[in-house]
Amino acid sequence: MEATEILARCKNGDHEAWNMMINSYSKSVYNIALNFFAERDIAQDVTQEIFIKIYHNLDKFREEKSFSSWVFTISRNYCIDYWRKNKKYLVNTQELDEKISVGKPSPEENLLNESEIEKLRKTISQLEPELRLILILRDIQDLSYQEIAKKFSVPEGTVKSRINRARLKLAEAFLREE
Amino acid sequence: MMSKKCRDIESLLSAYLENDLLKEESENVSIHLDGCSACLAKKEKIEEIILKLSDLQEEVPFFLKNRLLNIPDMIEKKKPARLLFFPKWLAAAVGTIILFLNLFYFTNIFPPVNREVHSLVSSIEKFFVKTGGWFEKVKESKELLFFTFFNKKSLELKEDKASQPIANEKDFVKGGRNG
Repeated sequence: MEATEILARCKNGDHEAWNMMINSYSKSVYNIALNFFAERDIAQDVTQEIFIKIYHNLDKFREEKSFSSWVFTISRNYCIDYWRKNKKYLVNTQELDEKISVGKPSPEENLLNESEIEKLRKTISQLEPELRLILILRDIQDLSYQEIAKKFSVPEGTVKSRINRARLKLAEAFLREE
Repeated sequence: MMSKKCRDIESLLSAYLENDLLKEESENVSIHLDGCSACLAKKEKIEEIILKLSDLQEEVPFFLKNRLLNIPDMIEKKKPARLLFFPKWLAAAVGTIILFLNLFYFTNIFPPVNREVHSLVSSIEKFFVKTGGWFEKVKESKELLFFTFFNKKSLELKEDKASQPIANEKDFVKGGRNG
């Protein structure tokens, strides 16, 4: 079924269509939130809020735009807004988490791949919000430069240079720790 | 201190790793990386990070998916029941008219309008008095009808009771329950 058809049925209150929409877009939205905030609880709440917003604004979607781009724009705006509103608290918790992990180095934990993933997420969450989002789309969600450029309404060259900047910042952060 | 050459190479690292450079540019980067350990370390770290980043994708937890699937029900439950369809623009128009009428009634900015509004209000009052009187009359006649009907019924009942013989004469002999 086409995205536009699913959408039309969602607008008419079709529950089956809404389930299809959740199955198609929830993973992408959840992974944006999870890797943007590096906190599971926040990512879950943010994902729910994004879909509530999508549900409330279904009538505002114009079909000349791609639906996935529209979903991404809502997700991006919500994540950045949430980040700005809760920046102080979010930065404090991240610093606290880092202190705890430095204070209690568990050898078992070090062996786990899970802790490496969390560390990588925390490092990503310290990048500027726009760089974070572009990096998530390119290197985590495997979108092409062209698709990202379309979503952000910027030239492809800008996306490429931002991706390079984000990767360099991550690499430098990890190299400093070694 | 990082040299200009290193900064130039850094800006090309992603494109170099993705084979997105011209042959000549790519060779220049390779030559620089062979001689610069700092840039080489960065290039290797970026390669390592790109590989790891692909592992950051996760499935949506089932409880979150359930929450997302229930959003339409949750929102519909929260919505207050709409008893009357009254669009906002109509409410605003009615409000504005009432406001203006009040303004012309209580102030004498435009005397002719003020007179008109007063005469309109007095005709409305007259109408209410008339209809009020009419309602009163209807109410009275209704009560009269009810009264006549029920009164007639109660009279009939009383007559029936009076015509019946006394069921237990002993009660009268004893003088009732209290003696």
